[in-house]
Amino acid sequence: MNTENLKISTVENLITTPPKSKAKSDEIIRDLLPQKFGRQGMIWVAVLTAICCVGAFAYYRQLKHGLVVTNMRDYVSWGIYISNFVFFVAISLVGSLITAIFRLSNVKWSTPLTRIAEIIAVSAIVFASLIIIVDMGRPERLLNLFLHGRIQSPILWDVIVIGTYFFISVLLLYFPLLPDFKILIRFKEKTGKKLNRLYRFQGSFWKGTKEQFKISDKSINILCITIIPVAFCIHTVTSWLFATTYRPGWDSTNFGAYFISGAFLVGAGGVVVAMYMFRRAYRLEKYITDMHFEKMGRMVVLLAFLYLYFNINEYLIPAFKMKKMEAHHLTELFAGEYAPLFWFTIFIGMILPVIILLFKKGRKPKPAFIAGVMVVVGAWFKRYLIVTPTLLNPLLPMQNVPENFKHYFPSWEEWAIAMGSLSGALLLITLFARIYPIIPIHETIEEQNKTDEKISLVE
Amino acid sequence: MKRKINLKNILLVFISLVVLNQTGYAQDEKEEPQQIVRLHYYNVNNNLQYLVLESLLKTGRKIEPVKKKAYRIYLDSVARSNFIAGVLTNEEGKVKAVIPPELKSIWDEKSEHTFIVTSEVAGEEETPTEFNIIKSKIAIDTSNVDGVRNVTATVMKQENNEWVPAGDVELKIGIRRMDNTILSAGEEPTYTTDSDGVATVEFNKINMPGDSHGNLIFTASVSDNDELGNLSVDKTLSWGVPLKDDNSTFGQRTLWSTRFKTPYWLLILAYSISIGVWSTLIYLVFQLVKIKRLSIQRPG
Amino acid sequence: MSENNNQKSRREFLLSGLLASAAVAGCSDDNDNPFVTEENVAPSGEKVKLLSVNGEVIEVDKAFLKPVPNLPKLSNQEERKGIPGKKFVMVIDLSRCKNLRKCQEACNHMHHVHPGQNWIKILSMQDGENTAPYWQPTTCMHCDEPPCVKVCPVDATFKRQDGIVLIDANRCIGCRFCMAACPYSTRVFNWEEPKLPKEVEEQPYSCETSLPQKKGTVSKCDFCPDMTRQGKLPHCVTACPNGVFMFGDMNEDTVSNGAETFRFSDLIRDKAGYRLMEDLGTRPSVYYLPPVNRNFPYESGLENSDEHRKS
Repeated sequence: MNTENLKISTVENLITTPPKSKAKSDEIIRDLLPQKFGRQGMIWVAVLTAICCVGAFAYYRQLKHGLVVTNMRDYVSWGIYISNFVFFVAISLVGSLITAIFRLSNVKWSTPLTRIAEIIAVSAIVFASLIIIVDMGRPERLLNLFLHGRIQSPILWDVIVIGTYFFISVLLLYFPLLPDFKILIRFKEKTGKKLNRLYRFQGSFWKGTKEQFKISDKSINILCITIIPVAFCIHTVTSWLFATTYRPGWDSTNFGAYFISGAFLVGAGGVVVAMYMFRRAYRLEKYITDMHFEKMGRMVVLLAFLYLYFNINEYLIPAFKMKKMEAHHLTELFAGEYAPLFWFTIFIGMILPVIILLFKKGRKPKPAFIAGVMVVVGAWFKRYLIVTPTLLNPLLPMQNVPENFKHYFPSWEEWAIAMGSLSGALLLITLFARIYPIIPIHETIEEQNKTDEKISLVE
Repeated sequence: MKRKINLKNILLVFISLVVLNQTGYAQDEKEEPQQIVRLHYYNVNNNLQYLVLESLLKTGRKIEPVKKKAYRIYLDSVARSNFIAGVLTNEEGKVKAVIPPELKSIWDEKSEHTFIVTSEVAGEEETPTEFNIIKSKIAIDTSNVDGVRNVTATVMKQENNEWVPAGDVELKIGIRRMDNTILSAGEEPTYTTDSDGVATVEFNKINMPGDSHGNLIFTASVSDNDELGNLSVDKTLSWGVPLKDDNSTFGQRTLWSTRFKTPYWLLILAYSISIGVWSTLIYLVFQLVKIKRLSIQRPG
Repeated sequence: MSENNNQKSRREFLLSGLLASAAVAGCSDDNDNPFVTEENVAPSGEKVKLLSVNGEVIEVDKAFLKPVPNLPKLSNQEERKGIPGKKFVMVIDLSRCKNLRKCQEACNHMHHVHPGQNWIKILSMQDGENTAPYWQPTTCMHCDEPPCVKVCPVDATFKRQDGIVLIDANRCIGCRFCMAACPYSTRVFNWEEPKLPKEVEEQPYSCETSLPQKKGTVSKCDFCPDMTRQGKLPHCVTACPNGVFMFGDMNEDTVSNGAETFRFSDLIRDKAGYRLMEDLGTRPSVYYLPPVNRNFPYESGLENSDEHRKS
């Protein structure tokens, strides 16, 4: 980084701050401006793009031949597309957790994490919508949802609520970006001509006046309040896609809360992972500190316990009764074909991360990152377990069908598309961080000034 | 040559065999395929009469309809003057024919007639198949004495141009239902005429739904009788109760109705939530516009 | 023959001829009758003279000579409404079933069901360890409160006034929510392009025939509304040599397997008919008669079972 040649224009609202702060804020801006990809970054982007391309090719094959290229059949009519969809919806909930809930409860330390959380939410919700289109037998009839939509169907509720959540998330991403645009525009030399044009287009109207700040702050507050119920809706409705059926394993009144708690857990885990990655990639140690891992680690522990609690509800109570309809499903999970995966998700997805994060040493960046990865991977397979084994336990026995109807393991096309969508989401996040500051510059400066003031007051 | 014809059984066997794809039996029995032609004579209300020709190919235990095969049907003898019709079987191996007015003199001449079927395919030597019928008529009568409701069917046949009672004829007496099935008026599925050609059944079905006026179509029907063919006669009576169409599950505002019949509570819930949230969002977009306007006003 | 006479006999034909002939569909002179009547046979206008039983010359419409009358093409709207005044019901007598699978074959054949898939499944059932096994054919239950219709987002599957639950494959988006929602697992999906004979492929799509089937859409047992509209019984009913299936109109209170005809309410009362999964509240239109006093032992059906066929 060539710091000497950096010409820093005075940022208007910083005029009044003492020179010491000004130097500090300059440093912050320097650190947080979007950076070009390094070699590692290039490889990362290339690999993700390649996986996306394979996924796109697999989808081309699916469009050509039909869903027959998948290994879904009449009994397992929903496979990893749907579990992947649920995973995306789940992880997108983190936007409301970190941004809205923390902001409303005046949690200051979460400031550097808000944008990370929000971009995870936006890209996850984008790919949730895409993957659900991939799952459709007739994607070209998507418009029928609007032309002939039946409000009685939970699918329509999902469509409405996902659309709404996407819109809110984008607004919640955009409003806090406005002050940063001003900074970005000033640093033309650093960001490059093309990006500058984009910034101007998106935020040149932001002058940083008091009125503008007033409106913006108020809008963000309203957004934070609105996003919480909508976020709850989005995942509750997604759980209802399953809970509105009669099938053992899905027919549960616990499902909404079960899904939401799981969503918060995977979201928090995802943020820990993203924090670690960004911190390493962009050398953000000063901004995403050990304290953040410490706090997020505690958060993950709390949420993991919450999810564990709902899991016990979800499995122990039916297992206590062992109704005939449920019995086969549950024994399959506990001790049957799906037992290894089931216990894997319980231990890797919940218990092990809790054990790691309960220790102070475990909440250091690296172990916390590992725990976060465990949570996310466990959560992905957990969604698979929610969808597939239930479909293999229909209420009437599976007979008069070919042998491959009675089992399910995703085909390469399904894996490629699912992995392609995950890569796509990661790519979206990566590209976003390339273009926009992944840690809010303006807010960080503000926080810095406030703490400085406090320190000076104490002095 | 006489054929034993029982329409209902033939239909059942026929349709089930059309779709038979089990090769288990057919493989070991390599029999010569056998052509089967059947002719059914119908007499409806002692007025309309027609013939249904059915052509089948039997291979082992497998019977298939013969499609698009041409036949000629004659009355009493194979001669130009006795020609009834040239017909072509359809996809189900069946075809219908009527007796043309030109054969009136031959028809009126005798009480018994023979239908002769010959194959039209050149070079294919097939012995003409013959089917005999006796002219007959059937009558249905009902009586209601002191609440005892009886249905009486009378079957007569012609012998030497004289009408005589047809005894020992099996027939169904009942109400005509879907697919021309007959719901027996009494307890037995079928009845047999006595020496007077008469069969009487007490109609014991209470509150039987009829049409919108409570009308029931009573019918007496002889099916594939060796001598008489198929006879049927109807009589409509208001011995039923008016039909009550239970439409309680249709056209109501329920969760399983169409989108035009959404329950009100759901509509109100869905719209109020959507409108509530989206008006907030639209308000926020306006706030953005406001922020933008503030920047334009500033220089001025 | 005088003009007067001529007209009289024509009227008589329309009153009686269509009523009774086994080969011609149609059963009533009542105008309320939704089935084939003089209005909807689509008369050709051409008359044919023929000889009556009494040797009189009478006239009938040429359309009469066709074994299957030309029904006017129905609009999608009419197909979605269903046949007025009808409420179709099926009774499956488990004491008569020996897993012959003729129903399945006929159904698959007539609806061009994809090989390997079935609209009718004959399940080998055993409710408890020490209870007797039996064969249970399962069709679509055509529920009065259908869970599949509840969840359909685009009205692609719908409940008609005659009780039939149908699918419009031109509307279906292939989300398969209905398949997950159906507790009877009755629905199948066209995972690939259906392989259909050319003439079927070319015929215009109708919800009532469910043909031609379309890739990426759901299909299932439809109670053969194309047959019932002609007043005929569904294919599975006529195909079963043991008379297991009985079909009819609940409003007529009659069901028939073609050979035998019963009063529906008597049959259900006398043989203690029941419906599957009554506790789910789906209110099926298919009733079962318990497998008591069986015509065949359970074992006689084993030779047609999946396991036996494989080996």
